[in-house]
Amino acid sequence: MTGPTILDRPERRLDGDEKTTGAAKYTADLEVPGALQAAFVRSPYPHARIVSVDTARARSLAGVRAVLTGADVRGQRLGRRLQDWPVLCWDRVLFVGDRVAAVAADTREIADDAVRLISVEYEELSPLLDMDEALRPDAPVLHPDGASYRFLEGRGERPAVPHPNHQGHVLETHGDVDAAFARAARTFEHEFATPRIHQAALEPRAAVVWVEGDRVRVVSTNKAPFNLRDQMAATLGLSKDRIVVDNGTIGGDFGGKGLSTDEFVLYHLAKATGRPVRVVTRYADELTTTNPRHASRIRLRTGVDADGRIVAHESHALFDGGAYAAGKPTARLLVEGGVETLEGYRVPAARHEAATVYTNQVPGGHMRAPGQPQNVFASESHLDLIARELGITPLELRRRNVARPGDPTTTGEPWHGPDLAALLDRAALDIDADRPRPGGRGIGFALGVRHVGRGSTTISLRLGRDGTIEARTGVGDQGGGQHTLIQRIVAATLGVDPVTVRVRRLSTEGPQDPGIGGSRVTPVHGGAALAAAQALKEKLGGRSVAEAAKALGTGEEIVVSAKFDATASDHGACAHAIEVAVDVDTGAVRVLAAVVAVDVGQVINPVGLRGQLEGGFVYGLGMALFEDLALEDGRVRAANLGDYKLPTIADVPPLRIVHLSDGHGVGPYGARSAGELVNPGVPAAVANAVQDACGSRVHTLPITAERVWNALPAPTRRPSGPVRS
Amino acid sequence: MRPFDYVEPETLEEALEILAADPDDTVVMAGGTSLVILLKQDLIRPARVLGLRRIAELRAISATDEGLVLGALATHGMLARSPAVRAHAAALASTFAAVATVRIREQATLGGNLAHADPAQDPPVTLLALDGAAVARSRFGERRIPLDTLFTDLFETSLEPGELLLRVELPRLPVAARATYQKFLPATRDDYATVSVAAAVATDARGACTHARIALGGAATVPLRAREAERSLMGRRFDDAAIREAAALAAAATDPIDDLRGSASYKRAMVGVWTERALREVA
Repeated sequence: MTGPTILDRPERRLDGDEKTTGAAKYTADLEVPGALQAAFVRSPYPHARIVSVDTARARSLAGVRAVLTGADVRGQRLGRRLQDWPVLCWDRVLFVGDRVAAVAADTREIADDAVRLISVEYEELSPLLDMDEALRPDAPVLHPDGASYRFLEGRGERPAVPHPNHQGHVLETHGDVDAAFARAARTFEHEFATPRIHQAALEPRAAVVWVEGDRVRVVSTNKAPFNLRDQMAATLGLSKDRIVVDNGTIGGDFGGKGLSTDEFVLYHLAKATGRPVRVVTRYADELTTTNPRHASRIRLRTGVDADGRIVAHESHALFDGGAYAAGKPTARLLVEGGVETLEGYRVPAARHEAATVYTNQVPGGHMRAPGQPQNVFASESHLDLIARELGITPLELRRRNVARPGDPTTTGEPWHGPDLAALLDRAALDIDADRPRPGGRGIGFALGVRHVGRGSTTISLRLGRDGTIEARTGVGDQGGGQHTLIQRIVAATLGVDPVTVRVRRLSTEGPQDPGIGGSRVTPVHGGAALAAAQALKEKLGGRSVAEAAKALGTGEEIVVSAKFDATASDHGACAHAIEVAVDVDTGAVRVLAAVVAVDVGQVINPVGLRGQLEGGFVYGLGMALFEDLALEDGRVRAANLGDYKLPTIADVPPLRIVHLSDGHGVGPYGARSAGELVNPGVPAAVANAVQDACGSRVHTLPITAERVWNALPAPTRRPSGPVRS
Repeated sequence: MRPFDYVEPETLEEALEILAADPDDTVVMAGGTSLVILLKQDLIRPARVLGLRRIAELRAISATDEGLVLGALATHGMLARSPAVRAHAAALASTFAAVATVRIREQATLGGNLAHADPAQDPPVTLLALDGAAVARSRFGERRIPLDTLFTDLFETSLEPGELLLRVELPRLPVAARATYQKFLPATRDDYATVSVAAAVATDARGACTHARIALGGAATVPLRAREAERSLMGRRFDDAAIREAAALAAAATDPIDDLRGSASYKRAMVGVWTERALREVA
């Protein structure tokens, strides 16, 4: 289905003017009269028992209005699904940065001083710092009372786990996997690892909470306000309708802002003082104490027939969930995108075992395509290694194995989605794959497949006498262009100029909304916008919007509301081709050029889409080459943006994005989701290009110069300088 | 950030008196690019910040008969663009041009850079290879501090309480000397160097080495001179074998720290690679 021409014109972003002029109000900008500032006492140990907390000196400091410790909130735990993270710790701390006490004071400086005056006596316990240690039969159990934790209602149940230090565990099989392996001509096995990396949104978390009559008012950077309301109600023992979450502009999210950890204790501080209490997280605390992407270790085994066609596959994926599972919203408490390896390929029989593991590390959370970059790095590196062993080109191996419509995929479900072979061929053509290249240069490929999200929401439209339309929605816009998307779909459907359509975000007093995440907004909110616009069109009964508006009396308006439930199965897809140069004396990698061939169906926001695709590439490039939260003894070493290196514009190679579409997207006007599509494939494409360039195979991200240098085949590496041990 | 008194004297004499009155609780601010971060992170809590920016005489860059004099308040950007600096050694100008990003370079100063003594910095390495000396003054007088004795440890210098760094003096380079600065940036373009190497070499008509300076960054807790490597070159034909031997000696002179930019053994090997590249550049 081809969309109306309005969608082909570059959009003017609804949030563009206020962001570029600095007028946008973020949570940290909010001036709440009389607000106190909060600060937290954090554990310096990865695992310890709290012996005592002495707050007397802090309480007597002038300007301190309240001091709370774990004893004041004993038993209260927070989380998106499993509520296992203490609002404040009362008996044990489980990671470096875990909160033990909170202060509300007149200024941030006084609050910080008060924090220093609180002395906590700890008895250090031996920490579980790696997943193997945590899963030993005799390992200490980090959550002995785990069975009693609250598990929030929603789709699905928490499955039983084989070890008490598992957060989630799954074993999925389709086909007779053992028999299929027995028939394989050759079988290959490889292991890969990825580190924790951070979402690194420009805006750190912030929140203000106050009590107004019987209402609890919350302004926060959370990107799913209804879910935060429900989590707070459950943790704090309040009814949902007493809590109103009404967020302002959000300065980037990348998945991290689905988890809030401060609002709960801010409520207690607000109640204790009778005043609003706010906190703006310092960036160092963002990097060290929030919910980064899970570190992973993934082992893959694949059997192929004599023609190099996949006949059997199995994966064992471990994700380091850290101290709490609170950051994961799904019932299985997994990073779901990490379970199904070799997505996008024809896999007649497969077994996937995946688990998230409790350790004494920073709790893991959701980040742009949760679990998938780890999975795709492993899967697409594995395929290249198999191709090399088989003596066929990596591109040819992929061509032989990509799923075609109706083929069984790695989940056992038939493939629904774009023409993957066409995407690969186009990427190969545009990178000029057959051109001979000088030594030290190489190209690498990777396939990326991402589901189109599902869920439901309600959008209402109000047509006023002035001919303008206001769309009301519960979803915010954290920079992804969500509101502009709603505006353009309404305008396109009604045939009006987009400037006549406003979008207003409602607080949690409005209709239920799932928030941003899971590649959801384009199909779900876009679908609701389309349904609402169609409902309005129907109500106008053949009149134009302008005619209908003119007929309205003073104060009259035409109101329609549509609830939409997106249920169809579909995927966006992309193929990466990346060219690198490797300095073989040092291992340094330079990315020279990149092509991403994508199928995202009908484009709604052309400018925003380009931002998502280019931004996704740069995001993936950071994971490929630079980013590593690098924990040592449970402590994050890269605790500032000087050490936690993000790509700068000077690090980004010339990037060509090529759009192909089969025209079958299930979203409005045939759209598919785009925000989480591109980043997962970049690390594997870079790793594959590096091996093509110099023979180094890097199995662990990021692909640092040192790792490349260490993996150089012996004759390539020239001895230079005596090496002292 | 904590409240503090901010004083901004007009003259050097005034500044020295303010500093002398309470040296332990006064911190000196030149460009402030590092200091303000320390203040904002609450890592230092001075009673007083002494701003130098009104003392214009500290900003001067001048060529003299003896060589080059660089004022402590000259910014990296000024130094990168200065014809006098370029005429003295293009490698010095390009060293300043390679620091961080344009926003930092227009604010950060030479004196601030040296006094902060961050071992990952670029300028100290090239200045060391160019035989630079810092000149510091207190109320009691002036003192010349050769750069290889200025840096004593991570973020530590031999400046005394009450002393202000005024300028850096560089002697004329020998005729026909060539200099270079090589910065190894395997990660992002705005990162600190993993290792860096500055070299200045002169040869006579027969191709024998008459002057050799090799300085290393990221190779220890302070910028290092690779003296054995330098000695191995002196009087010797500056050929492939000499370069390889000097590079090996430079690598052997290092004592790098393991950090996020690389393991000690990798950095040591990279000092070898980049010393070799630097020497080939000036050969």
